[in-house]
Amino acid sequence: MIALHAAEIGIDGRSLIAPATATIEAGRFVAILGANGVGKTTLLRVLAGALRPLRGEVRIAGSDPATLAPLARAHRIALVTSDDAPVDGLSARDVVAAGRYPFHRWWEWTEDRDDTGAIERALAAVGMSGFSGRRFETLSSGERQRIWIALALAQGAPVLLLDEPTSHLDVRVAHEILALLRAQAEAGRTIVCAMHDLNDAATYADALMLLGDRSMLAFDVPERVFTEPLLERAYGIPMEIVRASSGAPRAFATGNASGGYPGP
Amino acid sequence: MNVPTRLAGLFAIALLALIASLLVGGSSVAPGDLLYALAHPHAGSDVVTILWQLRMPRVCIAAVVGAELAIAGALLQGLLRNPLVDSYLTGVSPGAAAAIALSVVAGIAAPALPAIGFVAGLGTAMLVAAFARRGAGLDAIRLILCGVSLSALFSAVVTLVLTRAGADYAAQILAWLAGSTAGRGWHDLFFTLPYAALGLAFALAAVPALNVLRLGETRATAVGVNVARTQWVILIAAALLAASAVAVSGSIGFVGLVVPHLARRVVGGDARSLLPASALLGAALCAIADAASRSIAAPAELPVGVLLAFVGVPTFLYLYLNMQKAAA
Repeated sequence: MIALHAAEIGIDGRSLIAPATATIEAGRFVAILGANGVGKTTLLRVLAGALRPLRGEVRIAGSDPATLAPLARAHRIALVTSDDAPVDGLSARDVVAAGRYPFHRWWEWTEDRDDTGAIERALAAVGMSGFSGRRFETLSSGERQRIWIALALAQGAPVLLLDEPTSHLDVRVAHEILALLRAQAEAGRTIVCAMHDLNDAATYADALMLLGDRSMLAFDVPERVFTEPLLERAYGIPMEIVRASSGAPRAFATGNASGGYPGP
Repeated sequence: MNVPTRLAGLFAIALLALIASLLVGGSSVAPGDLLYALAHPHAGSDVVTILWQLRMPRVCIAAVVGAELAIAGALLQGLLRNPLVDSYLTGVSPGAAAAIALSVVAGIAAPALPAIGFVAGLGTAMLVAAFARRGAGLDAIRLILCGVSLSALFSAVVTLVLTRAGADYAAQILAWLAGSTAGRGWHDLFFTLPYAALGLAFALAAVPALNVLRLGETRATAVGVNVARTQWVILIAAALLAASAVAVSGSIGFVGLVVPHLARRVVGGDARSLLPASALLGAALCAIADAASRSIAAPAELPVGVLLAFVGVPTFLYLYLNMQKAAA
């Protein structure tokens, strides 16, 4: 379970999100939405314990992620960053095996049976079992993203944080990735995922956390977050909500930004 | 071929290089006599003296120095994720050179020079690290910039001393700068071995973290690597190894830069195999270079450092560029 208690999120003393309180139950899939620069990545870094909230408290399964020792933190929280540092000379499996780092002391250099099982399960969960021997740099963007997610799964942490895992991916691959995250949520993992595509978020997430106007504008089920005033306030552009044939709400921007970009 | 087989192959190459360099030298002795002397160290002949008193310490020193420099280079290249880095980046060699130059002019006796070089080399590395600190860890770019600028400063000190010192002093300083195992004995090696062993222990402790760091610092942090601590451990390991090498043999460049690249080509980038492979290749290369330095212009000696650069750099460039072409 993830809890924010009157947590103010910001960086270098500059506030991005006014004090907010929210609880994410275990096994839920929450999408963080909001304009560029609104603080989605910063919020993820706070949840990952890489940054402290300016004020208030953050708890992951009862403990403050910022004060956990690095290894203890890695056992509880896995983070898939959007950082695209080059990876040279590693196979896809080597990359996933990095997720087993927190399970070994520094003198334990060899992969044990638990590691092998976890790595193979993680590769299978992202549909990449046949790619384990492929060199990472020869994989497509979508395949790389699957491998990064497999690394996080091999880590075995109950909380999985992802920063825009579907950016730069085509429609089909994006849906496949979100579906596999959905499956992980069904299996009991807590998924918190920063995203840009509103309709993908509404399709796959249990709840949407909408950031904007230096605050958490909404944290609710997609049905209640998908209102024209809320989305217009968050993105500064006229929005229209329509219904898909399934009855699910879909949001579309309808024209030029009125009044310009609201600023972070 | 799998990685253990390749490592075994490198081990065989290193062993052959060591034996070959024992058989070569300024005085011509039949290989049969040398092999006999190798098996009978207490036989009390001239050949035994040549082999055990003159050649054996030098070959061992050359091999140890080569291994130390290669491991230090592999560690720093892995830590900074920069292939252009070598073990002297941390300022170890120029710092030691400046201290040695000043000590020679001050009239300090030659036996004390390795110790002075070691302390000064390690001190310079720590100075560079202090400048490169950012938060609890180290800033890679700042480390490289500080290393390069302090190296330039200390090289200037050496040049200044060389231009102001008399010819005798200058010859002694230059002999050290050129990098050489000539006239080095067991005691020079034994004095640095404990520090090199400590450096090696630090290096081994960092191996799992070094592997994960290949994914970048952000991702390494996410799987629980204490990046700041790992940076210090690796830097201290590399500085101890490089300072040990410099104290014994002076400035031998090229090994720390090039050997890790060759080793990576042979066994891949996994630190568990890259470090031993670098050590074996470095040892083989320096042992052969030492043998060549003794025999090419015998009875005169060529400095190992110069020889390595003259022969090694073109060879490396040729091999590397050809392999790049083959890979493309």
